[in-house]
Amino acid sequence: MRFQANRDVLSDAVSFAVKLLPQRTTLPILSGVLIRSTDSGISLASFDYEVSAQTEIAAEVQEPGVILVSGRLLADIVSKLPNAPVQFATDEGKISVDCGSAHFTLLSMPVEEYPTLPSVDQPAGLVPGDAFAEAVAQVGVAASRDDVTPVITGVQLEIADNVLSLVATDRYRVAVREIDWDGSAGVTEATALVPARTLQEIGRTLGHASTIQVAIQNNDDRELIAFTADQKTVTSLLIKGNFPPVKRLFPESVDHYAVLNTGDLIEATRRVQIVLEREAALRFSFSSEGLTLEAIGSEQAQASESIDALLTGQDTVVSLKPQFLLDGLSSVHSEFVRISFTKTDNPNKPGPVLITSQTSREQAGSDNYKYLLQPNLLLR
Amino acid sequence: MGKADGSDRQVTTGPVDDTGAHILHVDMDAFYASVEVLDHPEYAGKPLIVGHATGRSVVSSASYEARRFGVRSAMPVAQALRLCPDAITVGPRMERYAELSRQVMQIFQRATPLVEPVSIDEAFLDVAGARKLLGSPAQVAARVRQWVREETGLPCSVGVAGTKFVAKLASGRAKPDGLLVVPVSETLGFLHPLPVGALWGVGPSTQSTLANLGLRTVADLAATPVEVLERRLGAGGRRLWELANGIDVRPVETQRVEKSIGHEQTFEHDVTDASTLRRELLRMSQQAAHRLRSAGAVGRTISLKLRYSDFRTISRSRTIGEPTAVGKRIYEEVAGLLGEAWRPGDRVRLIGVRVEQLEPDARSPLLWDPDEDWRDAERAVDDVSAKFGPGVVAPASLLGTRPRQVGESDHYRDRG
Repeated sequence: MRFQANRDVLSDAVSFAVKLLPQRTTLPILSGVLIRSTDSGISLASFDYEVSAQTEIAAEVQEPGVILVSGRLLADIVSKLPNAPVQFATDEGKISVDCGSAHFTLLSMPVEEYPTLPSVDQPAGLVPGDAFAEAVAQVGVAASRDDVTPVITGVQLEIADNVLSLVATDRYRVAVREIDWDGSAGVTEATALVPARTLQEIGRTLGHASTIQVAIQNNDDRELIAFTADQKTVTSLLIKGNFPPVKRLFPESVDHYAVLNTGDLIEATRRVQIVLEREAALRFSFSSEGLTLEAIGSEQAQASESIDALLTGQDTVVSLKPQFLLDGLSSVHSEFVRISFTKTDNPNKPGPVLITSQTSREQAGSDNYKYLLQPNLLLR
Repeated sequence: MGKADGSDRQVTTGPVDDTGAHILHVDMDAFYASVEVLDHPEYAGKPLIVGHATGRSVVSSASYEARRFGVRSAMPVAQALRLCPDAITVGPRMERYAELSRQVMQIFQRATPLVEPVSIDEAFLDVAGARKLLGSPAQVAARVRQWVREETGLPCSVGVAGTKFVAKLASGRAKPDGLLVVPVSETLGFLHPLPVGALWGVGPSTQSTLANLGLRTVADLAATPVEVLERRLGAGGRRLWELANGIDVRPVETQRVEKSIGHEQTFEHDVTDASTLRRELLRMSQQAAHRLRSAGAVGRTISLKLRYSDFRTISRSRTIGEPTAVGKRIYEEVAGLLGEAWRPGDRVRLIGVRVEQLEPDARSPLLWDPDEDWRDAERAVDDVSAKFGPGVVAPASLLGTRPRQVGESDHYRDRG
């Protein structure tokens, strides 16, 4: 095979294809990028049986064919090539890459042994790229990173009534975001549990497109989901298992809440938590005077700070892990934030707090993002 | 490491240089047997075996008179009685031993607050700070032995050395009823003639690895470059080399961090039916959970141990998402493991439950927790048991069904 491609276009395509490759793979062949040249251009693909990335770019193809080369090595090379057309050719079991006066010879990996790439042929729905990228970032933060519980390392996607809702939890908190879903192509109801790390990478990679196509399909007993935008497609196997029914943890309505400036609360929390010991919680006392944050429990140091807060309902005290709170506050993306206090039936356990956006002191946000956080027990 | 019958006993009689040898290892001599002699003076001077005289029971403790016939701890009672047919056998009375153990540990506290109990009948003491009050380490050791003898009537042996490891070897050598000081300057001379098996952590497998390298004595080990040992034995290689060179930096720790909690159960007759095994697992899971809760700990890895009639032993473990101290949860995991390992027709001799990867129970509460109700229920049972005694409340499936058993053991194991 033989083709010539634009350096920038090729570099973008190669870096997309290798981005989702695993850092370490047990099968060396899976560290390769498969490049296929046809009359219409070239396609690049990577696949590790879980996740695949496939893209097509324009190229001047002199001779059709297929090659498999080390993905990371190729990405390193292409990103450093001079600004000139790049020429690929097979040459007695090797692959030569020429660009300007630079010349590389790469080992050709056996194409026959490469697994068949998943193909996507089901009808898809559409989501707006920017909203999808934002939603994935807002929700992914709450997903568990513990592989012992695989089900909650995923983000649950639920499609119903022209809405795609994304849900993630690590059992300490739950984050939910709803975005528009255009199901006119045929998909109006579905659920899919997608590994959070993969989904976050997809959000970063495809989020710049105006719309992203999403298709869910069954391939040989394994369900997979495909995201396509700008000639780029990422597929991922779904996580098997039932996602816990966490949406029902959210209260219908809460009339006991405080509204604060998001930036002020983030700053104060970051400052006061400095003196906390690992795993310890901050104490937040809400009253008509405002909010006081206190860090106690370390023999070395204590800290406290008071900021403005507009409280509706009675005075209340909660104990929260600062990082969990900060994750929620950093995800509301609004100038003000509402912290609502819920009740539980269990007298030994404080009710979760709900974090939602607020466009002004008085006006609740309309972005459909909710972050529910379980407080610690109040000591002393 | 003395021979268990005291035949190679070595003790300190005259004054020695005990400068820097501030670690004491106090070990009660044939503790259970000595307590029985104390309570039954008619047994004095006679071969005595503590252990059940039936079935597969093993020797818990034997008097020195019995040891002279070759009787050893953990030997089947039947075998012990073949070696020493005239021995008196008595069943163990753990409560009485625990009572005397507490009394002895309190005596140690008088010498120093730095007491690290190792088991029911031994402890390390750091007496560096006792010099002004009680004298040099050798003097403190003699005083402790005298107090124990006068106040409980029980004999003990004390090893005095600069490190825990050497002190423990010394107390073993001093048995029975002796005191051995290993001066810091003579530590290597004391260690080097010993076989490598005397070192902590050298079991049969390490011993054979070392034998393949031509290393038989501690002196051989000490002379081997540490890199060679690390290559063959991993991280443990450096530790062995350090021990062989008299280096043991572990301090006397008054609070031990438990690494795992477990129970196991040997059946008098091999068990072939899974429901009996599950019932035992439930009982042991409840016990393990209770001990976790009393220690304020939770564990993340749960393991099952099975020993079959042919002594083949397997162990299987599972790691769970959230560490637990709930017996129901431990049981569910371990019963699941049994379900995977169990084949019809298996004959089980011993079964055990262990909870590992322990950590303090200081985690944030979860938004939802399937164990929550059980945790509350089991805490309530703890409270009831604390008030009315253990066993007042138990799972219904455990009522009146307990099979006869022999060697039951509760063991805390420190893998640190």
